[in-house]
Amino acid sequence: MSHSDRETVLEARDFVKNYGEVKAVRGVSFSVQKGEIFGLIGPDGGGKTSLMRSLVSLLKIDGGELYFKGQAVSGNPDYVRRNIGYMPQRFSLYQDMSVAENLRFFADLFNVDRDLAETRIEELYGFSGLKPFASRKAGALSGGMKQKLALSCMLVHSPDVVVLDEPTFGVDPVSRSEFWQILGKLKEEGTSILVSTAYMDEADLCDRVGLMFNGRILIVDEPSALPERYPGKLYSVRTDEPHLVHDALEESGLCGECNLFGEGVHLTLADGTAESRIGDLLRENNLAFESFEAIESGIEDLFLRLMKGDGDER
Amino acid sequence: MGKIRSLVKKEFRQIRRTKAYFALIFVAPFMQLLIMGSAITNEVKNIPLVIVDQDKTPSSREIIDKFKAVSIFDYLGEAHTAEEATLGLDDGLVKAAIIIPRGFERDMERGLSPAVQVLVDGVDGNSAGISLGYITSMAAGIQKGWMMARKLPVSGGVQVIPRYFYNPELDSKLNFVPGLIGLLLLMITTMLTAINIVREKELGTLEQLMVTPLGGTQLIIGKIIPFTILGLLQFSMGILAARLVFGIPVQGSIPLLYGMVLLFIMTTLGMGIFFSTVANTQQQAMFVAWFSMIFTLLLSGFFVPINNMPRIVQYLTYLNPLRYFITVLREIYLKGTPFRNLWKEAVILGGMGVFLILASSMRFHKRLK
Repeated sequence: MSHSDRETVLEARDFVKNYGEVKAVRGVSFSVQKGEIFGLIGPDGGGKTSLMRSLVSLLKIDGGELYFKGQAVSGNPDYVRRNIGYMPQRFSLYQDMSVAENLRFFADLFNVDRDLAETRIEELYGFSGLKPFASRKAGALSGGMKQKLALSCMLVHSPDVVVLDEPTFGVDPVSRSEFWQILGKLKEEGTSILVSTAYMDEADLCDRVGLMFNGRILIVDEPSALPERYPGKLYSVRTDEPHLVHDALEESGLCGECNLFGEGVHLTLADGTAESRIGDLLRENNLAFESFEAIESGIEDLFLRLMKGDGDER
Repeated sequence: MGKIRSLVKKEFRQIRRTKAYFALIFVAPFMQLLIMGSAITNEVKNIPLVIVDQDKTPSSREIIDKFKAVSIFDYLGEAHTAEEATLGLDDGLVKAAIIIPRGFERDMERGLSPAVQVLVDGVDGNSAGISLGYITSMAAGIQKGWMMARKLPVSGGVQVIPRYFYNPELDSKLNFVPGLIGLLLLMITTMLTAINIVREKELGTLEQLMVTPLGGTQLIIGKIIPFTILGLLQFSMGILAARLVFGIPVQGSIPLLYGMVLLFIMTTLGMGIFFSTVANTQQQAMFVAWFSMIFTLLLSGFFVPINNMPRIVQYLTYLNPLRYFITVLREIYLKGTPFRNLWKEAVILGGMGVFLILASSMRFHKRLK
């Protein structure tokens, strides 16, 4: 791997997590390098949260091992907790306490010296823009500001590794973008970030991503390299009637993949199908379409493709 | 230690901002003592009574007048026949009926023992017994009056003159009020602790706390301290309310009383922490706490004397911290019993408290992993 010369801050080796009969994570290996933003991308129920909670020592490890800065998580939970910043999926701060009170409380818990904490909190205000709201109750903040506060609370002890579980979930687009800007600044300061998201468009904001589905990480790569990982050639039919076009193509048996998108249908050709057959078929069925052309695959296409190969194993 | 201090500080900050806590701590003791202290009573008052006078003599009329005059009975009037009185009982309008038979006065003057029949509604056995007791003692009183007036030949017999210690007037308030203060303490501390911890679980803040260097033990201590203080505060309000509302002072040593309260709070907090490990939502915590509290209450000797319970149930009450605490409260409150007579209870309460807190803390730890 191209990052082998750099320091590994988080690592999973054949990590397994079960809840009774349910296999949440089934043998995952990956690593996060110092100073990078690593995105765990995938749908809900894919095992992202289980993986992250285990990494920060909140869950028992059922197989394999997790490492934080070279130390096994299972044997050193205190070391992990002292040095990592973890932000759980749900907003979980004290709603009846003010922004400043929440920040100071967590600074106390992390044993941050009083004076140091004040400077750090000022710094975090600078990052998050929360300063004008310092005395407002956390419960009265907007969704985006809540997430910024939660992040700030997890940064009061200046950890250089942070684990964020779907920090932008349910947050408006503007706040999402602001949040990612903060992550960018953190990265510039040298912080390593492991972040999960169900929003595929956030993949491009990461240095590397792992596509996680059904308890497995299917692909790990840089976002720009992902289109090349798509097996086969992908086409797009642009149309105003995507549902009808999709159904017609699906029935025809001409396609390998055939997926509905907002602007039309993305498809691959079944073995032995000529490109021209698609346009002919649609014209035969009197279905209007704007264009039919080969496209570069997006992360969603890749996901839909990968999920098919792994869907049966529950 | 700094971490525990900031936890406790945080807890008080939140408590201060929750108005309901104020009501629970400062208003509830007064309300509860005022309402329940007057409502819960063994005394039976205003018993609806009818009398069937088949004798129609001065003696029978005197009996009626005597019963009319007493406030314990609500004299509804005369029934003409025994059947009419029975119908009244059937309808629930009448709780007791006295039938004075024909020839009552004549038999009495002859030195025979005339019988008066009393019909009592026995649905509520407790009140029935007490009603009958009143009637019997009224009858005895009337008879004594007649003997004094030399209407009757004086007959010999042993007279029992009771004198009740510690509660000379058998005022049930004296018995109930200290018990109520104990009950209130149990309810508030157990419930608040359970709900408080489960709320953090629900909000996810517990998870957030767990990824800080804060240990589970520190977390538990950070919960125990504020709720102990809250409990002591509330207990003090209870004592104050008992004093102001009912004029019941503490007879015994105040430090001893507070020492015992501390031991008891350990058991209630232990239970609260235990419930928080069982429940995942505040509703569940509330339900579990209520469910267990019913048992704790009924098996404490507060409502039903423990001696009246079946043997197996009596053994069960030995596991109930409230049983010991209510005993201790009554002893210190009413009798001023010194520690040397209460050390057994203290040891048991202390043992239970330490066990409950340790066991539930361990469970709490395990649940987090």
